[in-house]
Amino acid sequence: MSPITLAVVATLAPAATALLLLVLFPLRHRGMPAAWVTLLGSAISLAASCKLLVDRIGGAADERAVVPWIEERGRAMAEIGVQLDGVSLPMLVIVGVVALCVQLFSVAYMHDEPPRAFGRYFTLHALFLFSMNVVVVAPNLLQLFAGWELVGLTSYLLIGFYFAKPSAAQAAVKAFWMTKLADMGFLFGLLVLYVNTGSFEWTAPTSTVVATWVSALLFVAVVGKSAQFPLHIWLPDAMEGPTPVSALLHAATMVAAGVFLVVRADPLFAQAPATREVMLWIGAVTAVFAAGLALVQRDIKKVLAFSTCSQLGYMVAALGAGNAFAGFFHLGTHAFFKALLFLAAGSVIHAVHSNDLGDMGGLRKRLPITTAAFVIGALSLAGVPGFAGFFSKDLVLTALEGRGGGAPWVMLLAAAFLTAFYMGRVLIKAFWGELSQKAEHAHEGGLSMTGPLVVLMIPSFASGFLGGWLAGQVKAEYHLHLGLTPVLASVMAVAGLVAAVVVFGRGGQAPGARILEKLDAWSLVDRTWATAYRLGLLGVASIAGWIDRYVIDGLMNLTGWSAIEGGASARRLQTGLVRDYALLVVVGVVVLALMGVLR
Amino acid sequence: MNAWLQIFALDFLVAGAALVVLGLDAVGSVSGRVLGWLTAGLLGATLAASFVLELSGTAPHGVYVSGAWVLFFKRLFLIAGILAVLGSIDWLAERTPRRQAEYYALMLFSLSGMMLLPGARDWVLLLVAFELMGVPLYVLAAYAKTDGPAGEPKLGPEAGLKLFVTGSASSAFTLFGLALVIGTTGETRLSALPEGGPSPLAAVGMLLVLGGMSFKLGAVPFHMWVPDTYQGAPTPFVAFLSVAPKAGGLAALSVVLLSGWAPQATIWAPAVVALSAASMVVGNVFAVPQTDVRRLLGFSGIAQIGYVLIALGAGTTEGLAMALFFIATYVFTNVGAFLVVHAAAQRSGGHELSNLAGLSRRSPWLGAALLVFLLSLAGIPFVVGFWAKLFVFLAAWRAGLTGLVVAGVVLAVLGLFYYLSVARSTFMADGTQAEPVRASPALSAAIAVCLVAVLGLGLWPAPLVEVASRAATAFMQGQ
Repeated sequence: MSPITLAVVATLAPAATALLLLVLFPLRHRGMPAAWVTLLGSAISLAASCKLLVDRIGGAADERAVVPWIEERGRAMAEIGVQLDGVSLPMLVIVGVVALCVQLFSVAYMHDEPPRAFGRYFTLHALFLFSMNVVVVAPNLLQLFAGWELVGLTSYLLIGFYFAKPSAAQAAVKAFWMTKLADMGFLFGLLVLYVNTGSFEWTAPTSTVVATWVSALLFVAVVGKSAQFPLHIWLPDAMEGPTPVSALLHAATMVAAGVFLVVRADPLFAQAPATREVMLWIGAVTAVFAAGLALVQRDIKKVLAFSTCSQLGYMVAALGAGNAFAGFFHLGTHAFFKALLFLAAGSVIHAVHSNDLGDMGGLRKRLPITTAAFVIGALSLAGVPGFAGFFSKDLVLTALEGRGGGAPWVMLLAAAFLTAFYMGRVLIKAFWGELSQKAEHAHEGGLSMTGPLVVLMIPSFASGFLGGWLAGQVKAEYHLHLGLTPVLASVMAVAGLVAAVVVFGRGGQAPGARILEKLDAWSLVDRTWATAYRLGLLGVASIAGWIDRYVIDGLMNLTGWSAIEGGASARRLQTGLVRDYALLVVVGVVVLALMGVLR
Repeated sequence: MNAWLQIFALDFLVAGAALVVLGLDAVGSVSGRVLGWLTAGLLGATLAASFVLELSGTAPHGVYVSGAWVLFFKRLFLIAGILAVLGSIDWLAERTPRRQAEYYALMLFSLSGMMLLPGARDWVLLLVAFELMGVPLYVLAAYAKTDGPAGEPKLGPEAGLKLFVTGSASSAFTLFGLALVIGTTGETRLSALPEGGPSPLAAVGMLLVLGGMSFKLGAVPFHMWVPDTYQGAPTPFVAFLSVAPKAGGLAALSVVLLSGWAPQATIWAPAVVALSAASMVVGNVFAVPQTDVRRLLGFSGIAQIGYVLIALGAGTTEGLAMALFFIATYVFTNVGAFLVVHAAAQRSGGHELSNLAGLSRRSPWLGAALLVFLLSLAGIPFVVGFWAKLFVFLAAWRAGLTGLVVAGVVLAVLGLFYYLSVARSTFMADGTQAEPVRASPALSAAIAVCLVAVLGLGLWPAPLVEVASRAATAFMQGQ
């Protein structure tokens, strides 16, 4: 098969699965068959992606195939197709591997759901994978936007999977609105780009002013999707979704889409130093801020959620520093080890039936594989030398040297310490120490749960060694060097872990935890948005509702009342209401006429 | 063929169909669903004829021009008519078996008026066509004169009366405005106004006409009839009312503004922009608190018209093409949505959001269809509504209407809120009713056509863009 055919298969196999499950609803309602069909679709997709990657390692060139999607007077206004290059191919494989692992894990994890819900869950997974692949292979920003919106919609449905639970429904709505609000930036960016260049290509030649506008508008969407400060608040709440969903959405795919967009549209961002400056700072602030909050979470998933915000901050900062490759590399390693961490957390939650770190303890005695997985994930995330996370984090930090007066570099180093510190805290609280009461009867899930953990352990450790190859794919410079930054980063990682052992090994509390807890409980950003939401949308809606109910329906009720009172049915038709309507017509026409006179 | 017959063939066919329906009823031998299927069949035949016959030409003195532009609208009206008739067949046969003929005949008369609109280039013809389109709608809105719970005021006559009173007022203003315009020129040609800028009197007249015509579009502030009439009139008819007269209004406004008054754009363009902005704001904001699905779709329709007016306000060929694309996709989307709501209400006893609860369980395919229509109205990618909005925004931005586009995009996000709240009750809420919802074959066929169009054009919008572009280009070149 030609590379293009393979890419189309990789993209459309999950779509075919979803369509099959949507149309043949008996299949979906039976539950388990839906899981098999979905797994088959994902496996086909991954196989095609892997074949493409192998061919590429064997020397295959970039491919691009587009068909005119919309024609306007004989000219292609927008195209649809696939672009296979050093960015999209590795991403396709990363997404495919994580998605398949997560789906396999879900078979056991979601086993207790009723068959219909089980079937719905896997249908949504298939739909989600398709949406994400549309984003990854997109040859232009319009197709990327189409996929982006679908990702938003399906993630809304996945986060709100337990919709009967009010907090889950609320979290889904919140995630949807925060990202949707930001997506307006994407749409405006598209409009500005198209009106000024006549195309939706990220390579379209344009002026600095236009590039700045477009990139800034696109970045607004990135802030929403990739959960950057101050739009990050939806991500911790989104932990209400099933844990495997978090592993997929909040590690390798949905939140990564924002970073992926910037990597893709690098030619545009390269022309906009002002936008990059903003990105640098927002990324750095998010990295430190979220790492601090991760330190005081009691819910194991929320630790990982804030950690994701923080790591995405690293990527955004790297992109802001102008090193798209560093951001992309960290995106890749993070996808693996964060998915691993989320799945291991899922395994823990499955075993102890609680998210609370206080209910855990000594789990390494009961869950050896899960413990191994979590340890590898945590060490990689902490950036311990030799693990994948070390290489990519080092590259990010190196990219930041000397940027923005050095402050972002210092902030990210501090965040690196915090990262090791909070991961050490989770390790000690959940896996070491005395066996907790709830953990007494804990045991590993079946092979479909431990299997994905074992598979993901490999890239979580080893994917860092692929940096040189990946750099070659995107024609970036990459070489390991022994400078100040890698040494400092290693010191920070080790120091953080040691500090965690010292502080939490004795059951102590982090210094400053009280302040951080206050900050977390106070959740200023959250409240600001909640107020804006209430004042804005709900306020407007209730005023409109009031007018509609009391002024309009009130008149209607008055009509009914007068009819009953008057007893004459004719009078009901002689409503004051209609006269009012006609009066409005008169007023409208008069206003228009005045516009004519006063123009 | 005779030149007259050639350019008016489709209009004659539709008017003829109305006479056939009335005639059969007078003979008194038709019952059940025969009349409905006959009407649908005649409209289908007319639609088929539009692809076979040679229909372009110009009437003497240029009062009527038939070409790609006219054909675009005529086909659109016919499609809307067929879908609405298919949606009405069973409801009429069950509820009002004896009065069916008047329903179909009135709808056909209204259609024949609509079909005359896009080609008219003369005030007299245009106005007659406009009223021929409008008057039957007043009667149809009040058609369900006895429907509704016993002991409560019947909404049907009220719906009709509201449409009638506000409609007549609008017509009066249109006529008064026309008197001023024609009075200053002494001609009934549309483009008779002098190039250099008309007298203040004529300018006032122009805006009066614009206001009067906006009524059919349901643009703010001429929208008050929309939610009440949608709530009280028979739902399958509302499916028709919510799309066909709006397309007719768009045709008439385009003809008047872009063909007749193109040189005077400085006078009407700000007014169109104002109407567009007001419609988007009021429609979107007022839709949020609605609990009756028909009222909600009514306000949503007002908002959608605001988007169409953005494109029209651009005043360019591209803008017009995008307005045509928008209105064509709107026909399928909105008719589909109303018909699903109709089918669900038949089995659930009402049109409240709570009546839709659990629809996806009670009828998976109706639930899925409604979801697709809602996503399209909300403008989600891979469903046709996304393209409609995107194209309109692009065209308007290019024409410099940046402010309107910004307002449109922001308000579209608000739109998502209420469309998804309908979707949420359909899919997630547990309803009190568990009885399966079944749509009759005719109704199912109509919904299926809408569904295929919305999904198909969502994946591949190119053909419709091409057709709309060609129609708009032909129109701007005076054909």
